[in-house]
Amino acid sequence: MLSMVKLILVLTTLGSLTACSQVQPWERGYLAKQEMAWDSDPLERALNDHIFFSKEASSGGNTAAGGGCGCN
Amino acid sequence: MMKRVFLALGLGAAASVLSGLVHAVEEGDPAPNFLLPSIYADQPAIALANMPGKTVYVDFWASWCAPCLTSLPLYNDLYAKYRNQGLEVVAINVDNPIEDGLDFLLDTPLDFLIPSDPEGEMATQFNVIGMPSSYLIGPDGEVKLVHMGFRPSDMKMIEDAIVANLPN
Repeated sequence: MLSMVKLILVLTTLGSLTACSQVQPWERGYLAKQEMAWDSDPLERALNDHIFFSKEASSGGNTAAGGGCGCN
Repeated sequence: MMKRVFLALGLGAAASVLSGLVHAVEEGDPAPNFLLPSIYADQPAIALANMPGKTVYVDFWASWCAPCLTSLPLYNDLYAKYRNQGLEVVAINVDNPIEDGLDFLLDTPLDFLIPSDPEGEMATQFNVIGMPSSYLIGPDGEVKLVHMGFRPSDMKMIEDAIVANLPN
């Protein structure tokens, strides 16, 4: 009985793994839109970064480059 | 029993990763034989098979990809310069909906062929790994150059590769 439960658990996990699909480079139209950025307002973002870096006494490394089109 | 579960999980994970790996088109490979409808409803379908003996420059672009939009007018100049020497430029649009691509073309008329691939069928066949990606196909049907990304300074290298592979 226990092994049956485990088998079901394994099958469910495997099934959910195949549901993870990668967004392909040519499918990033929606992701490239400005409103899809973490911060859509560049000025507000610069200000927040400035405050963050001042408080943390560090700079850079808070974001990844690129707008989602995979071209950077 | 636990060992087996982990083994099964590991195999499952490995299988799902492997299934995502497709061979990317590289230099020296035979070019995938594309066949796509034109983005313009009143123009015929576009196929590599219809361009025997020509040098074909295939470029994948979308209206939301900024470097693509920089490159297209420059490719238009290149096409005007070498079309009489056997160059075809095929700029495959991957916009979905295709109206986004058509909107861009209204402002920027282009002379070369523009097929539409909203479902990414050809992008999948070429296994495009970034936008824009372009492929120079020689008259022998072999991929001579694969180029990803675009900066205006890349034009010199692209033009040199095209000139070196023109049919006549």
